[in-house]
Amino acid sequence: MPRLQLGDWINSGVNWLRDNLSWLFDFISSVVQGMYDGVNTVLSGPEPLLLAGILALLAWWLRGLLPAVLAFLGFALIDSIELWGEAMNTLALVLVAGVITIVFAVPLGIWASRNRAVSAVIRPVLDFMQTMPAFVYLIPGIFFFGLGVVPGVVATVIFSMPPGVRMTELGIRQVDAELVEAADAFGTHPRRTLLRVQLPLALPTIMAGVNQVIMLALSMVVIAGMVGAEGLGSTVFQAISSVDVAMGFEGGIAVVILAMYLDRMTSALNQRVSPLARRALAKEKAKALSGMKVLHWRPATSVAMVGVVVLALVAGGMSMFGGDDEGPKVSANVGKGQSVNIGYINWDEGVASTFLWKELLEQRGFKPKVQSYDVGALYTGMAAGNIDFETDSWLPTTHAAYWAKYKSKLENLGSWYGPTSLEVAVPSYVKGVKTLDDLEKKSSTFKKKIVGIEPGAGEMKLMQDKVMPGYGLNKNFSLVKGSTAAMLSQLDRSYAKKEPIAVTLWSPHWAYDKYKLTKLKDPKGAFGKGDRIDTLARKGFSKENPQVAKWLKNFKLDEKQLTSLESAIQDAGKGKEQQGVRAWLKQNPGIANKLAPVPGGADQKGKDAGAAPMIGYFPWDEDIATTYLWKNVLERRGYKPEIKQYDVGSMFTGMSTGQVDVEFDGWLPVAQKQYWDKYKKNLVDVGSWYDKTSLEIAVPSYVKGVKSLADLKGKASTFDGKIVGIEPGTGEMKLLKGKVLKEYGLDKEYKVSDGSSPAMLAQLERSYAKKEPVAVVLWTPHWAYSKYKLTKLADPKKAFGANNQLHTLANKSFPKKFPEFNGWLKKWHMTEKELASLEQAVQDAGKGNEEKGVQKWMDAHPGIVDKMAPVAP
Amino acid sequence: MAKLRAERLYKVFGRRPDEAVARLESGADREELRASGTTAAVIDASFAVEAGQIFVVMGLSGSGKSTLLRMLNGLLEPTAGAVLFDDDDLTALTPKGLREVRSRKISMVFQHFALFPHRSVLENAAYGLEVQGVPREERVRRATEALELVGLAGWEKSWPDELSGGMQQRVGLARALATDADMLLMDESFSALDPLIRRDMQDQLLQLQKRLKKTIVFITHDLNEAMRLGDRIAVMRDGRIVQIGTAEDILVTPANDYVASFTQDVDRSRVLTAGAIMAEPSEVLGTTTDDGSTLRTEQDVLAAAPATVTESTPIIELFRPCSRSGVAVAVTGDDGALTGVVTRARLLAVLGEPDSPPDGAEPPAGDSPDAPGTAKKVITGA
Repeated sequence: MPRLQLGDWINSGVNWLRDNLSWLFDFISSVVQGMYDGVNTVLSGPEPLLLAGILALLAWWLRGLLPAVLAFLGFALIDSIELWGEAMNTLALVLVAGVITIVFAVPLGIWASRNRAVSAVIRPVLDFMQTMPAFVYLIPGIFFFGLGVVPGVVATVIFSMPPGVRMTELGIRQVDAELVEAADAFGTHPRRTLLRVQLPLALPTIMAGVNQVIMLALSMVVIAGMVGAEGLGSTVFQAISSVDVAMGFEGGIAVVILAMYLDRMTSALNQRVSPLARRALAKEKAKALSGMKVLHWRPATSVAMVGVVVLALVAGGMSMFGGDDEGPKVSANVGKGQSVNIGYINWDEGVASTFLWKELLEQRGFKPKVQSYDVGALYTGMAAGNIDFETDSWLPTTHAAYWAKYKSKLENLGSWYGPTSLEVAVPSYVKGVKTLDDLEKKSSTFKKKIVGIEPGAGEMKLMQDKVMPGYGLNKNFSLVKGSTAAMLSQLDRSYAKKEPIAVTLWSPHWAYDKYKLTKLKDPKGAFGKGDRIDTLARKGFSKENPQVAKWLKNFKLDEKQLTSLESAIQDAGKGKEQQGVRAWLKQNPGIANKLAPVPGGADQKGKDAGAAPMIGYFPWDEDIATTYLWKNVLERRGYKPEIKQYDVGSMFTGMSTGQVDVEFDGWLPVAQKQYWDKYKKNLVDVGSWYDKTSLEIAVPSYVKGVKSLADLKGKASTFDGKIVGIEPGTGEMKLLKGKVLKEYGLDKEYKVSDGSSPAMLAQLERSYAKKEPVAVVLWTPHWAYSKYKLTKLADPKKAFGANNQLHTLANKSFPKKFPEFNGWLKKWHMTEKELASLEQAVQDAGKGNEEKGVQKWMDAHPGIVDKMAPVAP
Repeated sequence: MAKLRAERLYKVFGRRPDEAVARLESGADREELRASGTTAAVIDASFAVEAGQIFVVMGLSGSGKSTLLRMLNGLLEPTAGAVLFDDDDLTALTPKGLREVRSRKISMVFQHFALFPHRSVLENAAYGLEVQGVPREERVRRATEALELVGLAGWEKSWPDELSGGMQQRVGLARALATDADMLLMDESFSALDPLIRRDMQDQLLQLQKRLKKTIVFITHDLNEAMRLGDRIAVMRDGRIVQIGTAEDILVTPANDYVASFTQDVDRSRVLTAGAIMAEPSEVLGTTTDDGSTLRTEQDVLAAAPATVTESTPIIELFRPCSRSGVAVAVTGDDGALTGVVTRARLLAVLGEPDSPPDGAEPPAGDSPDAPGTAKKVITGA
C-alpha cells in the first residue's frame, strides 16, 4: 500500500495559506480581537455585583423572579471565588463566538433550506466540522492567528457552527408547506415570505439551534484556554497543568454557572422573540392566573429595559468616578516613567524572571511592558530593536542557532541561572535510586514505566535516542508519551499515595519546590551538558539604560529561589503572575533591594557603613518591633548591627559597661527611673522617639460600667478578685502593687497575679474569646489595643504617675562611636499609628519571622528608610 | 366570454418533461411514463369557466386536480398549454406580473385553512391587502368587512388556534374575499370539516355567491358537494378530465364506468331535476287516466296531472304526486306552457343505475361531453 502523504499536503496547504493570505488572517484577527476587546471591556468594566444585578434583571425579564435570584447568587459566587474577571472574559469570548457563529450559521441554514444542492454540499462539511476533534482546529488556528483569543474564537466558531446551520435549515423546512404556499398564493415576494412567514415560524427551532451554539461555544472555552485565550478555560487548564484540584473545581463551578445561565436565558429568549412561543406563553398565563402570581410576574420588556439602562448608567458612573485599583508601589523613582520592553518565552522560568523584573522595574519607577513571543519572534524582535531585553536565552546549546544569527545586533548581559539540566526524577521516598543505573535495576518497582511528556519535546527524543539505550533502560522500561500536564498530575497522584514513579523532568522546575524529588544522576552524561540561562538585550541597551543593564548583569537566582518563584506564580494563577511575584517578594524580604539596588537613594550606604553597633532589646513588643526595624534600616545603610535580648537589669548593666551600645526602649522618666538613676553617669539619653505612653489597667469594652480604676471597687466578684499582671519586678507591677491599688482602695479586694506579658496576653485572648470579664495590666503603646476592643481605665488620681516617654538610651561613648547613627536616632520619631501597625505586622508574622514582618511593614511605608536614615546626597 | 380558459394543459414532474408531453400527445399512457421515472400529473386539460360560475373539479386523490388548480394561478408552471385569464396568458407573465395577478385578481382558500398562526384573525384576513400594499387603516376596514361577511364579526382580535375548524375556514375565506379578487380558487376547502359544518359552509358559500358573483374554481373529491355547489363539474381521473357537464349530465349520462361508479352513492332524488328526466308531452297523449278519460291535448295533460312543477324541481318532490295518480306529472316552462311530463315508470327508472354504455362507445374526454340533449337521449333509450 503506497503511503499517501495526506498530512503533508494539508501541512503545505496550511503553509501556503499562511504565506499568501496573511492579509486576510490579519484582517480576521483584528476584527475578532476588536470585537472581543469591546465586549470584554463592557463586561469587565462595571462593579461585579452591579453587572450581576443587570444579568439577574435579564433573568427576571426572561424567566421570572426565582431564576433571577438564583442567577444573582450564582454570579455573586463567581465574584466571591475571585473568578469574576475570568468569567467575564469567558462570557465575552462565548458571546463574540456565538454572534459570529449565528451571523454565519443562520444565513447558511436559510440558503440550505431553499436549495437542495447547497444542502447536500453543506451537510458533509458540517459533519466534518463537528466530528473533527476540536483540538485539531487549534493547530492551524495558531498558525494563522497566533496565540490568544482569536484562534480560540475561530476554533469555537467552527466547532459550534453545525447545530446553528442545521437547526435553521430544519426549522425553515419544518414550516407548514401550506403556509408558504398560502403566502405565495397571495403574491408574496419570496424574500418577504422568508422574513414574515418562514423565519418567524421557524424561530423556535432556530433559537434551539442558537442555544446549542452557545452551549458548544462554552464547552470549547477550556480548549481555547490552551491557546492562550484568557478566561475560565485558562483557569481550568492552569489547574490541570498544575494539578490544582481547588482551582480546577472553582473554575469548573464558574463554567457551570455561566453555562446554566446562558442555557436558561437563550432558551427563554425564544419565548420573548418568537411570536409562536409568545402566543403559547400568553395561553399558559391565561390558564394559570391563580396561584403564585408574584413568582411568575415578570417585568415587561420596557420595564426591564429601563432597569438595565439605569443599572448600566450607575455602573458606568461608578467606573468613571471610582478610584483606580492599587498600582505598583513605587519605592524609588529611578526610572522616572521610562518605558522598557521586555519579551519572554512562555516557559515557566521565562515567565517567572520576566514578571519579577516587571515588578522590580515598576517599583523603581520604570514603565515596563511585557509581551510573550515564540522563540524566533523574540530574537527577531530584539535584533530589530523592538524588544529591549529578555531573560530566557538557553545558551550555549538550545538557542545557539538564534544567537549565531543575531549576535551582532544583541548584547549578552550575562547568565543569571545555570546550569539547567534535563533528567529523570523520582520521589525522594523511593530509596536506593540515585542514578539512572539504579533505575535500570528496579524496573519492577516502577512497573517498567517512565512517565514522559509531549512526544515532540527535545527531552523525549534524547531519552529515546541516547539515555535509554545508554543505560539499557530500553529493555525493561517503556517511555510513556503524553503531556507535561498529564505527567505532572500522574506525579501528584503517585506522590500523594507514596507510590514509586519515575518521570522525565528538567531543572529549573517548580515541581522541585512542591515535591521532594531526587534527580537521578547521569554519570555517563547521556543527557549532555546543561545550558545556562542568559539575559540578552538589544545592541545599545546598556548604554541607554546603564542602570537597568547593571541590575541585569548582577541578576542571579539559585534553584531554590527560582523554583519557589515559579511556584508562587503557579499558585497565583494565570493572569496574576505579578501578584505571584509580589507574594514571593514578600516571602523574601530584601531581595528586591538586592536585585535592584537603588543608586544614591534608599539603599545608599551610610557614612559609617561597616560599623557594627550592638543593640539590646527587651522582650516587649514595641522594643522587638523597633529593634528589628532599625536592624533592617541599618543593614540597608551598610551597617552590620547585632541585636541581643536582655532583661531590664542586665540591659542597664551591659550598657553602662559598653557591652551594649544602644537600646530604644527606655521608659522615662517614670518606669525605669530607678535604673536610670543608678547608671546614668555611664549612659547618654539620645532622645525620646515616642511620647504617647501610659501605664494602665485595661478591661474589654464589653465589660460595662467600668471606666476608671475607681469603678473597679466592689466588683471583685466580676473579675474573680484578680488583676492579670506581667513580669514581677517591672516598674509597672511595682507601681501597681505599691501605689495604685492603695490609692483606689483596691488592695483588699484584688490580687495582682505575677506572670509574664505573653501569659497575660494569652489570658486576655481566652477571656476575650469567651466574652468573660478580665482586668489586665497593660501599657500604651501596645498592639493589643489594635487587636481587641479594650477600655483603658481612667486614672483620675494620677496614681500611675506622669506619662512616660520612650527614650533611646546609649552608652556614653555611643555618639562619638556612631555619629551618623546617633544623628539619625536624635531625629527619629514614631506616631502611635505607625508603632501600632509595626507591632501588629511583627505579631502577625509570628515568632522567628520578625524580619519578614518588619519588611512587610516597610513595604507598606515606602520611603521610610530615607526618613529614618537620611543620607546626604 | 369565459373568464378563465385552460387550453391543453399538461403538467409533468420529473426529468425531460417536454419529451414526456410529446409522448403523451402521441398516445403514450401514464403508466408507461411512470416506468421511465416521470409523473404526468395533468394531461391535456381544457375547459372554460364563465364569469360568476362555480366550476367544480372533482376526482379522487392523485387524480391531478390540485395540480390543475395550482396551474391556474401560476403556483405551478404548466409543462405545456396555456391559462387564459381575462384573455391574458398567465403562463407568459414574469414572476412579478404573476405575483401581481395573484395578489389582486385570483385568491385562494386552502384545504387545511393555512392561517398564519403568528397573526391574529384580523391580521390573517388582512394578509392579502398587506401584500398589495394597502395602507393600514383601509386594510383594517376591509378585512373587518370581509370578516363580517363570513359571519365572524367580533372575532378580529382572536388567534387562529382559538377558533373551531369551521371558523378558521371562514377566516380563510375572508382572507380570500378581502382582496376583492374576481376569482377564487378553493382547494378542497371544506373537506377537513365535520359533515354538518361542511354543509353550513356550503350553504354560506352559495349565499355569498348570490351576492358577490365571483368566479370560483372549487376542487373536491366529494360528488355530493360537487353536485351541490357546481354550476358545472369536471371529473378527473389519472390526470385527465373524463367528463365535463352539469350535475345532471354527470349523473344521468356518465361518460364511462368510472364516472358511473362515482355517482353510485349520490342521492339522485335530490340532484336530478324534473327537467332532466322529463319525456316529451306527446308520450302521454292518447293514454287514458285512472278514471277512464283519454288525454288528447296538452291542456288535458295539465289538467289531469297530479302536480305541475318546473324544470328545476328536484325529483324528490315528484314522488308524492306520482304515488297518488297514474297520470304523469306535468313540467312547465317559465311561460306556464307544458314542456314535458314525468311518468311513474320513468321516475322509478332514473333512480336505478344507468346502463353501462356498450364497449367502445366511451366518448373521448375532450369530445364535448357537455352537448345538451345526450342525457335525454340516453334516458329515453332506457
